Amino acid sequence: MKLGHKTFSKLVTSIACTLTLVFSVNAVAQSGTFRARLSPMPTTPQTVTTITGEGEVILTLEGNTLKVTGDFVGMNSAATMAHVHNGPPAQPGPVVHQLEVTKMTGGEISAVLELTDEQVMALHNNELYIQVHSETNPPGELRGWVFARN
Amino acid sequence: MKIINKNTTRALFTSALVLLLAACNGESTVPADSVASVTFSSQAEEGATAFASNCAACHGASLEGTTLGPLLSGNSFLQRWGTQTPALLLNNIQANMPPGGNDGISDEDYTNIVAHMLSFNGVDTITEALTASTNFEIADNISQVVARRSRPEPEPPQGITVAGTVEKFTPITDAMLENPDPADWPMHRRNYYGHSYSPLSQINTDNVKGMTLAWVWNMYEGDSEPAPLVYGGIMYLINPGNVIQALDAATGELIWENWAGPANRQDMRNIAIYNDKIIQATTDARLIALDARTGEQIWETEVADASKGFSNSSGPIVADGKVILGLAGCARYIPEDCYISAHDANTGELEWRFNTIAKANEPGGDTWGELPDLFRAGGETWITGSYDPDLKLTYWGTAQQKPWVPVSRHLTIDDVGLFTNSTVAVSTDTGELDWFFQHVPAEALDLDEVFERILVNRGDDKLVFSLGKYGILWKNDRVSGEFQDYKETVFQNAFTDIDDKTGLVTYREDIQNAKLNEWTSACPSSAGGKDWHSMTYHPPTGTMIAPLSQTCLENAAREVALVQGGGGLAASRKFFEMPGTDGNLGKIGAYNVDTMEEVWSHQQRASFHTGTMSTGGNLVFVGDLDRRFKAFDVTTGEIVWETRLGTSVQGHPVSFAVDGKQYIAVTAALGGTSPRAVPGVILTEIKYPRSGNAVYVFALPD
Repeated sequence: MKLGHKTFSKLVTSIACTLTLVFSVNAVAQSGTFRARLSPMPTTPQTVTTITGEGEVILTLEGNTLKVTGDFVGMNSAATMAHVHNGPPAQPGPVVHQLEVTKMTGGEISAVLELTDEQVMALHNNELYIQVHSETNPPGELRGWVFARN
Repeated sequence: MKIINKNTTRALFTSALVLLLAACNGESTVPADSVASVTFSSQAEEGATAFASNCAACHGASLEGTTLGPLLSGNSFLQRWGTQTPALLLNNIQANMPPGGNDGISDEDYTNIVAHMLSFNGVDTITEALTASTNFEIADNISQVVARRSRPEPEPPQGITVAGTVEKFTPITDAMLENPDPADWPMHRRNYYGHSYSPLSQINTDNVKGMTLAWVWNMYEGDSEPAPLVYGGIMYLINPGNVIQALDAATGELIWENWAGPANRQDMRNIAIYNDKIIQATTDARLIALDARTGEQIWETEVADASKGFSNSSGPIVADGKVILGLAGCARYIPEDCYISAHDANTGELEWRFNTIAKANEPGGDTWGELPDLFRAGGETWITGSYDPDLKLTYWGTAQQKPWVPVSRHLTIDDVGLFTNSTVAVSTDTGELDWFFQHVPAEALDLDEVFERILVNRGDDKLVFSLGKYGILWKNDRVSGEFQDYKETVFQNAFTDIDDKTGLVTYREDIQNAKLNEWTSACPSSAGGKDWHSMTYHPPTGTMIAPLSQTCLENAAREVALVQGGGGLAASRKFFEMPGTDGNLGKIGAYNVDTMEEVWSHQQRASFHTGTMSTGGNLVFVGDLDRRFKAFDVTTGEIVWETRLGTSVQGHPVSFAVDGKQYIAVTAALGGTSPRAVPGVILTEIKYPRSGNAVYVFALPD
């Protein structure tokens, strides 16, 4: 049975994560471009026509400053709020920043945010997501996790 | 969704009126109970509104069914529910429907919906309102059914409907099945090892661009995921509704057609051929042998009692002279459980059964907590197994425990429920369990590991591969069952750890402890990872190439009462795109079976709806929801050919040769359960006709 490579891989990942943590906390001056694809919140056959739309958000990090620009179209009702949340992929979490959003069914999203060191680390770990709320879907209509842009 | 219920409004108004009159010390001239009187008719009327709001999106406004949900009317409904009671129907839909959640749907609404369904299906001899304990037999209260019992009406086609004879038929032997002629595709995945690989190489990466349509044959409409068989230049094609056709595989000429019944729109994935017989399982759990030359029935036997909910959606494998098949529809709380059974190929006589649910006094019986045998459910074997003629073992995947979430089944995450969600290796001689490996114990999200088992020899290693809804490609030793290795083929966040020595998975804590009506978010969704679409093993390159799907779900357990006849699946679900995939639901992944590393992958927006099929021409074929049928270079993953068919491409591609000419065949089809239903709420921009079942056959020009 040859199984050692995954154990080794996990060890390497653990060391890398630890080094990343140490590095991130002590030296947060990082840069990079990130992207979130906005797509409908979880739907069912009953809600598929009332939770709609799509969009794209580009996020640019300089040091701890995150510039957010994006657009969206096709929501079922006018947007009311947009937020950055903290949660690993596909796992909802709390709001950590507010975003400016056009109060229509389509429009723009923008903000310039100062992230904490922990939030910068969350950004690099794909643990931030953007959520747009609307009049008919107060819990949220569009959502998208933030990943490094290829 | 909030329902405005007229009965509730009326009851509140009546109560208010009574209180008002009492406060005024007056007297009502109308008794309160007569104002609030409820009848079956009034329930049905209210139920029509509730049904339209909560059920019609999947089942159709006229209960006619859609690609998202089955029809709930006519013979299909009667077959499933005719001998049952309104109380059981109510119990079932209250626990399971609608799948997206039942917030705001009251007990009264559910009762009204049942009344509407019964009224729509012709229940007309009762006036008294339904209650949660109404226990008459449904069919007995439909005048038309009662009349039909004494006055038989024209039946749908049965037996031979097109007569003809396959000339020069040579009976197929065990040896021929063990080592199929390269020109043939004589079983579901072509060989006993389940490779879905054809050694034919006339069509290859150099010339596939010139491949064109040779012929097309429209099939009967309905749900369909078929794998045609081709033997001796004849294609044997299973249609929806248990119809088999024999076609000239070079020209598409129909030779014979047989209707085994029931004439419904339900799905059967595959049939088998052995000696001079075509052997089919039916959707109502019968097993039938037809004469391969003429289509005439030779024998028939019952596999399980369809009136108790048992059914088949996949056909048998014939191994060592035995017809071996699984069973589906095992989610009900009844004394009978699921099994794999073997029948004599010449007579249909039962030879053995292997039960997939361990009862309390049996080995593994202590893995179901204190749950009485009656309430141990699940363990379906709804995908056909594989066979090792040397070891005389047949390898099957089993589905998970039912209901879907531990709390709904009155168990905990420690009650692993043998022999569910496992690979089982069963002796073809005796039906005894040789070994098992439980991939995901105490499964908690409707992500089962039931799909095909692919047998691979690498040097002295005899291996079995499987890939379930969690998207994990498992490698086990097929002599001992010992875990060897794994590979995550799509993003999954259900497990926090997979032990690389034992393969033991550890669920995320919130999944382990999920409570009733508590939403849990996880990837992949119940569409898979991977689902019923078979992967292919390409022996020349040692590559496993799998059709994968990338969606996620939110899941909430519902309460299920421990009552005989109850049970079900019992979860509310919502679906969404998998983060990090850029909205690409479809993925084809190629994996080196030695290193388990991904060799290449291709991702696209449209989900894939066929198995993968590879060839000696270094090609792998697959079809998608967006009607595209594609060929990839097995080595590089480059798309080297594609065409577009009449509707979504669904089923299992095959390759064969007639008179030295190679053909590629694939079906376009509808239905397909979760892998279609989930994209149905995400890929809303992809349009395809809601009809068009057909088999398409391609070849190089002469």
